[in-house]
Amino acid sequence: MVMVLNKRLMRILKENKLRYLGILVLIILGSYTFIVAAGLSQNLAVLVTTFTEDHVQEDLSFSTDRPISDVAELENKFDALIEEYMSFDAKLSDTLTLRLLSETKKVNIPAIIEGRTLSRPGEILLDPAFAEANGYSIGSQIKAQDKTFTVVGFVSLPHYIYPLKNVNDILYSPKEFGVGVINREEFSDIDNAASIYSVKFNDRTRSLNMQAVELRKYLQVKGFTVSNWIDIMNNKRARIVWASITGMKTMSVPVPAAMFLLSSLIIGIMFWRIIRRESVIIGTLYAQGYRRRELMRHYMAIPLVLAFAGGMIGSLFALPSIEPMVMAMISYYNVPVPGIELSFLNVMIGILTPMIFLGLSSYMVIRSELKKSPAELMKGDKQKAKVNALERAFKLERFKFSTKFRLREQFRSISRLVFLLLGVTSASVLMLFGFTVLNSMNHVFKTSDVYLFEYEYTFRDLQYGEAPDGAETFNAGKFYPENNEEIEFYITGIEPDSTLVILKDNKGNVIPNNQTNITKSLANRLGIKAGDTVTFINKEDGKPHTFHIDAVAESYIEQFIYVPIDEFNKKMELPEDSYIGLFSTKELDIPDEKLSGTKSMSQLPEAMDEFMGQMISMVALMTIVSSVVALIILYLVTSLAIEENRNTISLFKVFGYRRGEIRSLILNSSTFVVVTGFLIGIPVAVASMGSLYGYLGNLINLVLPPIVSPIYVIISFAAIMLTYQLSKCMCAKNIDTVSMSEALKAGTE
Amino acid sequence: MFIDVSDLRKTYTSGMIKNEVLKGIAMKLGKGEIGVILGPSGSGKSTLMNIIGGVDRGDSGKVIVDGIEVSKLNDDQLTEYRREAVGFVFQFYNLVPNLTVRENIEVVSNISKSPLNIDEVLAEVQMLDKKHRFPRELSGGEQQRVSIARAIVKNPKLLLCDEPTGALDFQTSRSILKLLQQVNRNFGTTILMITHNTAISAMANRVFKLRSGEIVDEWVNQAPIPAEGIEW
Repeated sequence: MVMVLNKRLMRILKENKLRYLGILVLIILGSYTFIVAAGLSQNLAVLVTTFTEDHVQEDLSFSTDRPISDVAELENKFDALIEEYMSFDAKLSDTLTLRLLSETKKVNIPAIIEGRTLSRPGEILLDPAFAEANGYSIGSQIKAQDKTFTVVGFVSLPHYIYPLKNVNDILYSPKEFGVGVINREEFSDIDNAASIYSVKFNDRTRSLNMQAVELRKYLQVKGFTVSNWIDIMNNKRARIVWASITGMKTMSVPVPAAMFLLSSLIIGIMFWRIIRRESVIIGTLYAQGYRRRELMRHYMAIPLVLAFAGGMIGSLFALPSIEPMVMAMISYYNVPVPGIELSFLNVMIGILTPMIFLGLSSYMVIRSELKKSPAELMKGDKQKAKVNALERAFKLERFKFSTKFRLREQFRSISRLVFLLLGVTSASVLMLFGFTVLNSMNHVFKTSDVYLFEYEYTFRDLQYGEAPDGAETFNAGKFYPENNEEIEFYITGIEPDSTLVILKDNKGNVIPNNQTNITKSLANRLGIKAGDTVTFINKEDGKPHTFHIDAVAESYIEQFIYVPIDEFNKKMELPEDSYIGLFSTKELDIPDEKLSGTKSMSQLPEAMDEFMGQMISMVALMTIVSSVVALIILYLVTSLAIEENRNTISLFKVFGYRRGEIRSLILNSSTFVVVTGFLIGIPVAVASMGSLYGYLGNLINLVLPPIVSPIYVIISFAAIMLTYQLSKCMCAKNIDTVSMSEALKAGTE
Repeated sequence: MFIDVSDLRKTYTSGMIKNEVLKGIAMKLGKGEIGVILGPSGSGKSTLMNIIGGVDRGDSGKVIVDGIEVSKLNDDQLTEYRREAVGFVFQFYNLVPNLTVRENIEVVSNISKSPLNIDEVLAEVQMLDKKHRFPRELSGGEQQRVSIARAIVKNPKLLLCDEPTGALDFQTSRSILKLLQQVNRNFGTTILMITHNTAISAMANRVFKLRSGEIVDEWVNQAPIPAEGIEW
């Protein structure tokens, strides 16, 4: 008996092909994105963590004016691994620099990813991206600093995961810079090689900041002049990869998971309605002697089959995409990839979650229906006639008929309304998310109106005296609020009469630089305002310093506190005329080895082109995916609304409503929900970006402002509305096919 | 004649099976008259009414309503015809469940060129005090009153009623029939009613008896009685 009944299943699916296809695509998308994103972030995290732990990534590095004679004693005293290595920048051509590093054994141990280790003099291990960009293969020879090296392998280094030339650089170009590892003995005849100490603390329970401060103080007490002090948290070479991983983890897993849950919710609601609509059939079958479990099995088959098929197809597509995606992500970084793990658990989650969701929601609905008596069921769905509180709460009488009709149409079904609102909001957030990332990156890398200089030079060590013509000095230190080491920011000392840093208040008036000013984004983050007196800890020496905030500058991009440089030097007990960097309107002739970073405002946008190109394709992909999701959701809701309104549509036709009038009444009823959903999406996107950026900002010390530009809002809105129009076009046919005889034959109200 | 149907034929085809539901129907009804079509299920009375009302088409024959040859109208013209000339009353009321009484009437007045005042129409059907209620909050008789109000608000020339008392008890049925008679009298609306109930024919000016797609009997009632006098 049940077998015969099951013949209906394919027919039911065929009757509403597009609708079920839409559901299937949502499940496939949900499963696919979930499995891929989870696989991607998990694999990346495992690869980087394993690498940095197994190969002992440093906690900090520094140089001293003279060699530390007893490293072992220092190691014991501070319970740390300390190892000295040599570094020398060999110019291979005018534009190409190869940094030669000596091989280490304890800290930052090189990982051979191809080829073999160094065994004899004249051998070199190269950073693979540099080798590829400049045409070096294993066995080839490379001439550096009047020596010829044979490439014996490719290497990854824990402190050069993103091989930036200077720690303050942002973009890496393997065509201009790379690293190579050689035997320490090779440095014996290289003059001017720098000696750097890497430190890894063994005690991971104590504050690493405090251990670092103690070590620094000790070295100063012992009479060492310490320079180039870089702690790993400020080292973009090591930290930028975590921004990618955390970004992926924070953004990618919840986003597809939310989409996935949303799909399940949508499908749950849909089946709920479908089953309620079939209550007459259920009642009839029940009355004819079908058992509850037989009917249960019959009705559960569709959601379960769809969920299983969607989950399986999603997984089948997702699994083979994980490896190439991990490889594509990791190609920006230099991390060994011993293998990619495909998580069976993720696949099971990808398949089982929609099954559980759909199964549960369908089970509950069917059970509640089957609890009723056959007679009650055969009377049909009375729920549709109920007037809910929302509908009553709004005094709809004052509106004109078409408005009233459309509003009632939405209010009548709260679940449909919520589902539509959630769907449109999610799609809008996803779309705005992509555009906001693009916009924020643009803002960070393009010149802001606060900075009027063209070049920013940061020195390795303190400089003294006057700035050259067209340049201004600055000094800077990293600080964190008392009791909150998580938030780090720079306090920068600038010239009190600076013409290159122009801060403005919220009325657009210029704020003088001879006082302490905070940018609005940082003020908001720290919760302080003009007139406050605040204390921050200097990361370098662990000492507290108190500042009186005079004004808040209207800048959403930069997160800085600016103080006059004299005051800064005085507070930090630095020499009066000292500075760490220069802002300049023109290029300055400063030897490379003196600099820890150079930023050129005009070159940045060019360097960003390739990066932005990839960003744009990612954003385009996100826009397409969110449009598809929105289209499916809008189509499902609209076709559901048509299905529920068949009798009304039929009646309208009988009464002489024109085709356009019926379409307008039924199809346009969702317009205000779509617009509301989109509007809700804007603050949600900004808020979620804000928290994500705040987190990333701490991680890599790169502050991204969550800026939603009006043009992108308009583009996103246009995309959503276009999708809405498309879904309406797809559904218009369904309205036209409703026959007038349905109302004429209707047997219930 | 207000309604003039001649040699109307209609066949429904389902696969290989052809079902001739109307076999050359000819009937006439004068302006302002009440006509009743009697007949068992499957006799073709609903099909006949649907064709007159412009919601279906005959295969051949002529249907003229108030000088308009309905059988020659295209789809758009049929829509305009239904919009302006015809009001429908259904056996199961067919009210829109999520609209109030008043809004259900607005559904039709909204598209009509010169609708009657909604409140006046509601007063006419004695539903003015319940205009903010939803259909489920009304009895069957009340719902049918609303359905009649909805049909007459556009002041149609022709009111087509498909078993208007089929789902109602005796007392309520009589009050609905009285209301229809009142509408006929007050607005001069021509009414064509389908029913199983032969007793209702007593209030009609003309009666048509249909069987298997043919009019087997037809008579003119010289002295229609008021609805209150109908018994069954």
